[in-house]
Amino acid sequence: MARVGVFVCFCGANIADFVDVPTVVEEAKKIREVKFAIDYKYMCSDPGQQMIRDAIVQHRLTSIVVAACSPRMHEKTFRKALSDAGMNPYLLEVANIREHSSWVHQKDKKAATDKAGDLVRMAVAKSIANEQLHEISVPVTKRALVIGGGIAGIQAALDIADARIPVTLVERSPSIGGRMAQLDETFPTLDCSQCILTPKMVDVASHPYIELIPYSEVIELDGFVGNYKAKIRKKASYVNFKSCTGCGACWQKCPVKVPNEYNMGIDKRKAIYTPFPQAVPNKPVIDAEHCTYLLKGKCGICAKVCEKGSIDYTMQDEIIEREIGAVVVATGYGMWDAKPYEEYGVGRYKDIINSLEFERMVSSNGPTGGVPMRPSDGKIPKTVVFIKCVGSRDKAKGIEFCSKICCMYTAKHAILLHHKVHDSRAYIFYMDIRAAGKGYEEFVNRAQVETGAVYLRGRVSKIYQKGDKLMVRGEDAQIGQEVEVEADLVVLATAVIPDKGNPALARLLGISYDKYGYLSEAHPKLRPVETAKAGIFLAGCTQAPKDIPETVAQASACAAKVCGLFAGDTMKKDPMVSTVSREFCSGCQNCVKVCPYQAIVTEDIPLGHGSKEMRTVAKINEGVCQGCGSCVAICRSMAINLAGFTDPQIINEIVAI
Amino acid sequence: MDYSKQIQDIAAKLFADGKIDVFVGYRMNSFDDNQIPVVITDPKEVAELVFTEKSVFNLTNYLKADHTRNKRVGLVVKGCDSRSLNLLLTESQVKREKLYIIGIACEGVVDDKGQKMQNCVECIVPDAVVFDEMLGTPKGIRDYIVNADIIELAGKGLVERREYFEQIFENCIRCNACRHSCPLCYCAKCCIDQETATIYNGSNTSSSAFHALMTWSLHLAGRCVDCRNCEKACPSHLPLHLLHKQNEKVIYDNFQNHLAGVEEGDRGAFYKYSLKDPDDFIL
Amino acid sequence: MEEVKEKIVSIEKPDLIAPPDWKPVIVGILCNWCSYAGSDLTGTSRTQYPPNIRIIRVPCSSRVDPWFIIKALQTTADGVLISGCHPGDCHYISGNYYARRRFLVTRELLKMVGFHEHRVQFSWVSAAEGSKFAQVVKKVTEDVIKLGPLHLYKKENFSK
Repeated sequence: MARVGVFVCFCGANIADFVDVPTVVEEAKKIREVKFAIDYKYMCSDPGQQMIRDAIVQHRLTSIVVAACSPRMHEKTFRKALSDAGMNPYLLEVANIREHSSWVHQKDKKAATDKAGDLVRMAVAKSIANEQLHEISVPVTKRALVIGGGIAGIQAALDIADARIPVTLVERSPSIGGRMAQLDETFPTLDCSQCILTPKMVDVASHPYIELIPYSEVIELDGFVGNYKAKIRKKASYVNFKSCTGCGACWQKCPVKVPNEYNMGIDKRKAIYTPFPQAVPNKPVIDAEHCTYLLKGKCGICAKVCEKGSIDYTMQDEIIEREIGAVVVATGYGMWDAKPYEEYGVGRYKDIINSLEFERMVSSNGPTGGVPMRPSDGKIPKTVVFIKCVGSRDKAKGIEFCSKICCMYTAKHAILLHHKVHDSRAYIFYMDIRAAGKGYEEFVNRAQVETGAVYLRGRVSKIYQKGDKLMVRGEDAQIGQEVEVEADLVVLATAVIPDKGNPALARLLGISYDKYGYLSEAHPKLRPVETAKAGIFLAGCTQAPKDIPETVAQASACAAKVCGLFAGDTMKKDPMVSTVSREFCSGCQNCVKVCPYQAIVTEDIPLGHGSKEMRTVAKINEGVCQGCGSCVAICRSMAINLAGFTDPQIINEIVAI
Repeated sequence: MDYSKQIQDIAAKLFADGKIDVFVGYRMNSFDDNQIPVVITDPKEVAELVFTEKSVFNLTNYLKADHTRNKRVGLVVKGCDSRSLNLLLTESQVKREKLYIIGIACEGVVDDKGQKMQNCVECIVPDAVVFDEMLGTPKGIRDYIVNADIIELAGKGLVERREYFEQIFENCIRCNACRHSCPLCYCAKCCIDQETATIYNGSNTSSSAFHALMTWSLHLAGRCVDCRNCEKACPSHLPLHLLHKQNEKVIYDNFQNHLAGVEEGDRGAFYKYSLKDPDDFIL
Repeated sequence: MEEVKEKIVSIEKPDLIAPPDWKPVIVGILCNWCSYAGSDLTGTSRTQYPPNIRIIRVPCSSRVDPWFIIKALQTTADGVLISGCHPGDCHYISGNYYARRRFLVTRELLKMVGFHEHRVQFSWVSAAEGSKFAQVVKKVTEDVIKLGPLHLYKKENFSK
């Protein structure tokens, strides 16, 4: 037989002025299960809590109802009072008679009192069905996995490692550095990208808490928060990194030439290569798709010239397994292919390039030695047209969002062009200038004033060739006229798109992505670095287009989240999670489908006691379950229940009104 | 429509090849010209098998029983039956590799009086959608037809509808025959028998029938394939299809023309969602 | 509640006249993160609304099994209000989308068997929409008063 104690709070005058508290107490005493009921001026105060503690002991109460303010306010306070008295804190129910009665029915004291009585009755009925619950603790493996070695991955890895938490950094290409390593100078300060990035890259390589696995990919992730198991495929590099000194003799002698990805294919690299001179690790790898020896079994020059004998053509892919507790995804971005812009002649005219290609040209370690050149004839362009929003903000061509960084880097390009070719002029076609950021507006002004870049507001309708020039026809909306610019070179600020591998990676990790392929955060405002799956975090352009400071900030935020997750040996969790009663489960697995957190898996159990036949039932991972109750409501067999909000509890409440 | 010979041959061959342990089909009733389901384990009984327009029952109901569990089963399915089979497959109640399915391109079955059944007149998916072997000429998926009774009911007033359904719930004797005859009611213990659900119910009153039938039809919403096994089983001859057809219509109209079990891997309308689902009924 | 002067007749059972002291009961099932927080805000901002609603807290609107609605209508309720987060705002990502589907089908089914559609209503109320919550409760209460007492398939003990 349940013995319920009811404690009604005056909340000073907040409740007592509009609800007749003694009547509520009298009403409560009429309920069969209520063995003790009392009111007090401030239930949340120390003496109030003491009353609860005393009554629990004196009256051998089995559950407690506090009629006071919203449970969102003081539920924790009263739970603590219960556990102080040696009672399970989850045997508490709060009847919200302040926000739901006294404050909203101030003109009708009788109705408010009746309602308060009903709310107390409901809470008593619910509390009778309450069960003892215990906080869940989940063990944690203190190692983080960072996927992607761009600036986001580097920053996250360094910040986590600085907190003395081991990090495994997985990078797909032979070197970390990512897109930022391809940039020449960065807006709005024009400091050299390489100069600020390479020290961080070296830090990663030398950090005692970072394990760098370059030239590799994550192929499997199992488990749940704090207890993931990752499988990483390390691609064969055919070079023994242990003995290789990075002298470079091999790639100097290699006869095979391949378009250079680092320079956006403007020049060629060799089949054995380091992506760029400052690469970390600075060891070459053999590109198996192009190496003559690996394809045809002939050549072998690199092995001959290598004094250390580091070349090993028999090397195989290697699978590395790591137990980890959290994942930071930082796979970065790609450039949209502007092919659909047929009116621009993309693909037909050689002198139309995208911004990243331009970036490589003006970069001092780039293929043209830092001077922009026309791809068609190698001449230095004098008139350069920049077109913004190519792809971005264009529903018809497929991408609705703003790529965010193009306004700024185009302004930067105008300045860089001016620095490299003094007698040049930049024409910039734009829709809007979006320069929100510290020092950004000033930077755009600088581009306009210092370099004389001509900003034309309007879209380009057509590009056609005239002699060796490109005629760019567009509209200047500010004067309302058509304009035509005779350009030597056209640079398209094509849309920033997520990495092509994102959907596959998202499926592998069990997280969601949007229609463009950007990975989805758990909440757009309040949880921008977490994913819906606990323990997986997002940094950088894998979530949405971002500039470098934002990317770094998000990466550091990820690090803070990871460190928070790893703060104790175990994670504590609310016990309000779903449980399956195997007896009733028919194994339809609809709950597995509906669960937004992939917290439900299946297990095979014997059909009967000692039976060899097996049947499948659902199993809930309480470490992952967030307690939404979706699975409970869709379970036709009523085999799942959500602790704290069980069917009997809710039905009791409904019936008790 | 008479595929008796073909089915007998196929079943005999399956037994001879050792591909199946059990065959579920129809045989003639011993006292009139109606048919009843039969579960054959002995190859000699194959000659009993028939299939005509009198083969009304949905045989997938027999897949949830003990005598077919974990056995290799041969089975005859019409269009509607195959849809429920699809659902049983996605809901992991049967294993596809254990089944040999004879699909029928169904031309509609008839009731006791020889009248074509209403669900066959309004049938949308006459051909079996999952099968190993197909008998008859497939006719493809037809346009959705709203149930005639639902249209009639929608024309009635609130009070009239209430009186009509009050009579239905009054006449229900809570025998649960509908549940047992439904191929998709396979729960180990039905929720309406569980203590939580029944504790505030009477045992055999219109209010308990209301609770039981409403919950039942909502559990079948977006899953019911309109085979009418429940109606054939009901001793009180209640028009149970009204509940299911109403749900089916609402789901078809509002949730991207969803029809239960037509596509492979379909789980029913309540286990997925679309951002385009109607929102205008919400304040 | 203001004094109801006119004779109130149950809309589904016109022969059932409400007793003069009849006060409708509305069961409100609210999701914890948006609507319950919104109803708390209504309180903190002292926005007044009719006192007929009895609020039950659930973690998410997707926790609401249709048979809660059936059960409420069978026992204590004259009307049911279920409220969750706006589409896209669900604390649990997608709960309200699943709930939305169930609610529509449940309501249409109840409509067919003779319940007025205003007996069961749904709303999206965010944690910031304290005044919207008050308006919703006011609308639902007024609707239910117009419909009169509910007396369909009631368990005898709960007849009013």
